[in-house]
Amino acid sequence: MAKKSNNSPDEIDLTTFQWVSAGSLDALGVPGCGGCHPGGGGLEFDRDGKRYDARLKNSPELAETLDGDYFKSRWDKAGVVQADCFICHLPGYDFKERNKHLKLFNYQWATVAASGIGLVDGFVREGQEPRVTYNKRLFNDDGRVVLDLSYPPPSENCVFCHGLSDLKKRGFSWNDRLNHDVHNLRNLQCAHCHPGDEAHNFAKGNENISTVRDDLDNTMMTCKDCHDQGFMGAPRPSHLSIRPGHLDKLACEVCHIPGINRAAGEGFDVATGMVVNYPKLGAKKIGEVFTWQPRFQRDDNGKLWPVNPLLFAFFTNQDSDGIYYPLFAREIKNGYSRIKDRLKDKAPRRPELHTDEEIELMLSALSEGLKNNKRFKQIKPYYHKSGTKCVLDEKGKVLKARDDTWVAHTEGFNINHNVAPAKLALGADGCGDCHSDDAHMFKGTVVTGLFGDDGKPETIKSGRLFGCRPWIYQLNQLHQKYLTPYVSIIIAIIVFFLVLHYTGQGPKRVDLYEDTAEITRFNLVERWTHLFRMTSFIFLAFTGFIFFYNNVTLLEIFFDSPQSAVVFHWVVGIVFTAASLVSIFLWARDAGFKPYDMQWLKKRGGYLGGRHEEVPAGRLNAGQKIFFWLSALFSLIMAVTGIMLIFKSSLGLGTICVLSTIHGFFSILFIASIIAHAYLGTIANPGTWRALVDGKVGRKWAEKHHSEWFKEVSKKK
Amino acid sequence: MYRRIIVSVAILLWGIGIISNTPLLCAKVRTCPPFYLKNDSGEIINPIKGQNADQPYSTRQTCGACHDYDKITKGYHFQQGWDRIRDDFNKEKPWVLSDGMMGKH
Repeated sequence: MAKKSNNSPDEIDLTTFQWVSAGSLDALGVPGCGGCHPGGGGLEFDRDGKRYDARLKNSPELAETLDGDYFKSRWDKAGVVQADCFICHLPGYDFKERNKHLKLFNYQWATVAASGIGLVDGFVREGQEPRVTYNKRLFNDDGRVVLDLSYPPPSENCVFCHGLSDLKKRGFSWNDRLNHDVHNLRNLQCAHCHPGDEAHNFAKGNENISTVRDDLDNTMMTCKDCHDQGFMGAPRPSHLSIRPGHLDKLACEVCHIPGINRAAGEGFDVATGMVVNYPKLGAKKIGEVFTWQPRFQRDDNGKLWPVNPLLFAFFTNQDSDGIYYPLFAREIKNGYSRIKDRLKDKAPRRPELHTDEEIELMLSALSEGLKNNKRFKQIKPYYHKSGTKCVLDEKGKVLKARDDTWVAHTEGFNINHNVAPAKLALGADGCGDCHSDDAHMFKGTVVTGLFGDDGKPETIKSGRLFGCRPWIYQLNQLHQKYLTPYVSIIIAIIVFFLVLHYTGQGPKRVDLYEDTAEITRFNLVERWTHLFRMTSFIFLAFTGFIFFYNNVTLLEIFFDSPQSAVVFHWVVGIVFTAASLVSIFLWARDAGFKPYDMQWLKKRGGYLGGRHEEVPAGRLNAGQKIFFWLSALFSLIMAVTGIMLIFKSSLGLGTICVLSTIHGFFSILFIASIIAHAYLGTIANPGTWRALVDGKVGRKWAEKHHSEWFKEVSKKK
Repeated sequence: MYRRIIVSVAILLWGIGIISNTPLLCAKVRTCPPFYLKNDSGEIINPIKGQNADQPYSTRQTCGACHDYDKITKGYHFQQGWDRIRDDFNKEKPWVLSDGMMGKH
């Protein structure tokens, strides 16, 4: 829109008068700027607070000045557009009729024609004086009009404007069976969620791209507000099958709007001087029945939201003050008209300039067309597309650089309508809805440029846009595809081999009945430490195992909810970590390797043949020493990764992915080694377990299994 | 005799009462009662009588007769940034004159 004060006609894009009637005359029913302004405000009063028509009648010379409200205007004939209450409150209002009359300068008559209260003949734009014929059927005998006005406004009227613009921005439609919305299916109207006050300011959500009345942002009830309270009968979801972290990091809309079923805009190109809209990749036109998935964007808190940015091919001129000014449509059109005949093999309305030659042609033509333009002190046109800005160098060749201007700042329009029924939400069919190879969340194709250097759309994998790099994805897939499905098999194989060992070699039995004397092997502190470590490990393995499969039923049975299971897991993890530290302190000295340990290892402890042979061992045998240090290492890894994962809400996606994969991988190794340890400490060596109950072992047992330690103990006695 | 006269007069009065209290045949709606359209000068438009019947109605005068038109049109949908528009609204983007749809682009 033009400034109020201008120094040259070149500075004036749209005056206020033009703004009201802007739009294509080839499609009179389609709204221009004024169509979606209900009147009043700037369509009734100028920037000095005066009524346009009255002021211009009194001072007709204003139309000859460079006043942005009056330059070449015809307010005196067209009248002003007063607030048209019927556009919102009258069911059956003819919005197309309104747009037609506005475009044809019948500003004060538009409401009469669109409401259907009267017919309007004649158009100011065609030099006629419109005349009204009222529909007497709508009037009582006393001359009062009878209108079945609606309060609150019906949704059908809201979508006159919001339907069209939001269809392009985000594929939005309402009362549309093919692009359903679960709230719409429950007969909710726009005003139910967006109530207004007496001043007709309506509650807003959290639009992140537009700066329109930000003070009204977040004044409507959120998904959580309604669904926590059951407001208006909203079902209260438990989300038990969803990992707790997901609910913190993902907006409700991410899962509950898994797809949109009308093609939104992918972007627009202004190379011809007209806005040429591009529908979503694969669709033929905006608004057609076409299913697509949103892209995802983080907000300032790191939360993920579904969005649809409109990409662009755009032109600016960098003036002497360094600012990149957007070129007016007429300035671009002027440039394009100079070269369109030279752009062979190009569709005239969609030139899609992408080769250096084409860009060079266009920028040269723009420079030529702007030569006498008094709007700029410096002529330096730029072409912006796909994050690149192009300009001509001193030799007239195209120079490309990363676009660091305001133009490149593309945020997506929030997608927050067309909510799917809960059973269609992401996650309703399990983790694979997002964490599988063919899921859109990470591997879906997202367009990042309307046309790249080869003329084809530029794309990227969806996950890349919110920080999921390929290696992170592969790591996650390792976890999802290999660790989770096979963890039970791995543990079953371990058990199988232990059974084979027991049935094949048998236990290293000692005749305990003839053992008359006993010696103390573990004192009370050692036994309690082992007990704490053992029981906490069992709990950790149990909860961790259920987490692997995200089995909500088991979590509910044992822990009431997945959230409390997570808390239980990390609290027990801290106990286990503490017990592990104490055990290292208690047994590190005994776990030091001695020369005789080599002999134990050579004989493989007698566990793989030769079980009756004597194998020398200290208080801990070589195998136990290896296990001790291995378990200390595993405990350390599990503790570090586990404690960090307690604070996962503060970590990045990649870090979480790496930590959880390490945590999961080593948990399997740890569990497998503990199963082997339990086997060796119980049925494989009868009499061993008792040492952990009352701390005593028989002398024969000690001599058999820990000969060097037995000698030391005997000497002391 | 007197009794018949009294009954007849009572029936007559009752009948007159019913007729006099019956409103004229007219359409009614729930939200807004039937109302007069008014032109820009505030004069009634009455197509039945042909009064100002070729003139467009003014919503300021018509709806404003019962509703606070000035207050309502201060709302965002009607201002769309016009209440904040200034030539020097944004120095970094001098073409942006307001934060609403009127002047934002």
